[in-house]
Amino acid sequence: MNEYAIETKNLKISYGDNEVIKGVDLKVLKNVVFALMGPSGCGKSTMLRAFNRLLELNKDAVVEGEVLLFGENIYSPDIDPIEVRRDVGMVFQYPNPFPHLTIYDNVAIGLKLNKLAKNKRELDERVRWALEKAALWDEVKDRMGDYPSDLSGGQKQRLVVARALAMKPKVLLMDEPTANIDPVGTKKIEELLFELKEDYTIILVTHSPAQAARVSDCVGFLYLGELIEVGSTKDIFEKPKNELTEQYVTGELV
Amino acid sequence: MAQKISEKVSEILGKIKTCMGFQKKGNKVDSFKLITSPAVLFVLALFAGMLIVYFYNAMPAFNREGLSVYLKDVWRAVENPSEEYYGLASAIWGSIYTSMIAILVALPLSIAYSIFVVDYAPKRIKNTLIITSDVMAGLPTIIYGIWGAFVLVPFLKDYVMTPLHRYLSFIPIFSYPPITGFSYFSAGILLGIMVTPFASAIIREAYQMTPFAYREAAFSVGMTRYEATKVMLGYIKPAMFSGVILAFGRAIGETVAVSLVIGNTFNLSANLFAPGYTISSLIANQFGNAFIYSHMLPVLYAAGLALFFIGLLVNSAGLYLLRRWEKNVSI
Ligand SMILES: Nc1ncnc2c1ncn2[C@@H]1O[C@H](COP(=O)(O)OP(=O)(O)OP(=O)(O)O)[C@@H](O)[C@H]1O
Ligand SMILES: [Mg+2]
Repeated sequence: MNEYAIETKNLKISYGDNEVIKGVDLKVLKNVVFALMGPSGCGKSTMLRAFNRLLELNKDAVVEGEVLLFGENIYSPDIDPIEVRRDVGMVFQYPNPFPHLTIYDNVAIGLKLNKLAKNKRELDERVRWALEKAALWDEVKDRMGDYPSDLSGGQKQRLVVARALAMKPKVLLMDEPTANIDPVGTKKIEELLFELKEDYTIILVTHSPAQAARVSDCVGFLYLGELIEVGSTKDIFEKPKNELTEQYVTGELV
Repeated sequence: MAQKISEKVSEILGKIKTCMGFQKKGNKVDSFKLITSPAVLFVLALFAGMLIVYFYNAMPAFNREGLSVYLKDVWRAVENPSEEYYGLASAIWGSIYTSMIAILVALPLSIAYSIFVVDYAPKRIKNTLIITSDVMAGLPTIIYGIWGAFVLVPFLKDYVMTPLHRYLSFIPIFSYPPITGFSYFSAGILLGIMVTPFASAIIREAYQMTPFAYREAAFSVGMTRYEATKVMLGYIKPAMFSGVILAFGRAIGETVAVSLVIGNTFNLSANLFAPGYTISSLIANQFGNAFIYSHMLPVLYAAGLALFFIGLLVNSAGLYLLRRWEKNVSI
């Protein structure tokens, strides 16, 4: 197998005439937390959605170049985007569990529809496993049949993590997962990242250099659609090569 | 002394105003509220007044026949007043039966229409489609009635009812021979077509407004477009529910179009192809006779009252369920 979980080759993305990602070459190692940071509007969410072909929901978005998932170009014509999305899970900026499905069904739905469990017992086990992985099991095990509306923001977000993990993806994309939850919830999610990178490659989008410094192994700095600098978290924060990067990590650039 | 009295008066007035909610915290009169309140009272009074008028005028029928006026299926309009006897059971049944058929037609149509308009229709024709259905919702119902009687009924009779009856007449609901085509079935289908624009307006609106975040979530766990659509339809269930309630309310109250296609026959049968009556078509048809026969008018009022209560029941049941559902899944 390839040593890189995700690799992009001259990736360009535009919405209509507006080129948002301007030729990015990126390599993300396996089993790391890779933080993609940059100021608001620089194209982080857009780029992330190219990694699971979710961008296709937007009819205006055009992707050029290649995205390799463990060495395989997910944009080659014979690849089914649905398969890609099973292998690449996603957690969003706003916690978005399905409000009309129970906690149990929120985790089970992907499994059920993709027939990834042979029977009810296997499904139950997988749901429990995912919730345990997402550090939510103890908090919800007695109310699996409830709707997620009573959960806190942080709990909802961990439920979304469980929903993604249940599919046993290889890569987990997280688009500012803590942007809309409180500090306690944020801490829980950040702790979770350490556990999860044992088994998964995590690409974490954040606009907070502090968060990137806390949780990531490697960092990429995206600015106006261009990847300015990539490196180990230590290097990027202690001796950035690019002036823009330095300005960004010291908080001068917003 | 005089000053004291005026003080007292303004104090009392103030209290009244606060009680009625006319006065805001800042001691300022909310004049808009002051102006609109009589309108609200007027509407409420009208509602109560109408109910009372109906009750009052239906009373002779209740006195004469008791509740059996709703439960019996007879319509004996004869010269001799002492032999007159009326029962509304078949009309009540017809109303409910045809409205249910209408829902069965309108719901899938509206859902399919909404999905098409929102997800598939090219931008160019999207607005045309929306406007068309809004116009259809506003058409005078007699237009549907005439079209129904001269186009829809013959078509249904030749291409749907006759084959169904020929091959499936062992199933009780298909056993009545569709001789004229005027039937519960025709009325239900026509009603379904008529209420589809209403139901679909609500469902379409809700479907259009489903947060993109949930769509993304659905696709992100490897759902196909079909599966994601199904999940999103689950999300707008309350809207579908309101759509159904609204459609049912319109269907059950529809008069002219139904009178033209249902056959206007006293009949209490689940046979889809049998002619029947609905409450409103009965009132419209028998209205002239009510001046000839001594005891008929109160019965027609009683029929109106039944319609009133069915509407009330359906709507409040709908609201109750909707509230409960919304409370459970509020975001
Ligand atoms: N659906 C869309 N259609 C057209 N343009 C879009 C769309 N989504 C984003 N853009 C544009 O693409 C650029 C990058 O947006 P993107 O959401 O990827 O940025 P981001 O780095 O995730 O920002 P944030 O930190 O605010 O989430 C922005 O200029 C935005 O206006
Ligand atoms: Mg973003």
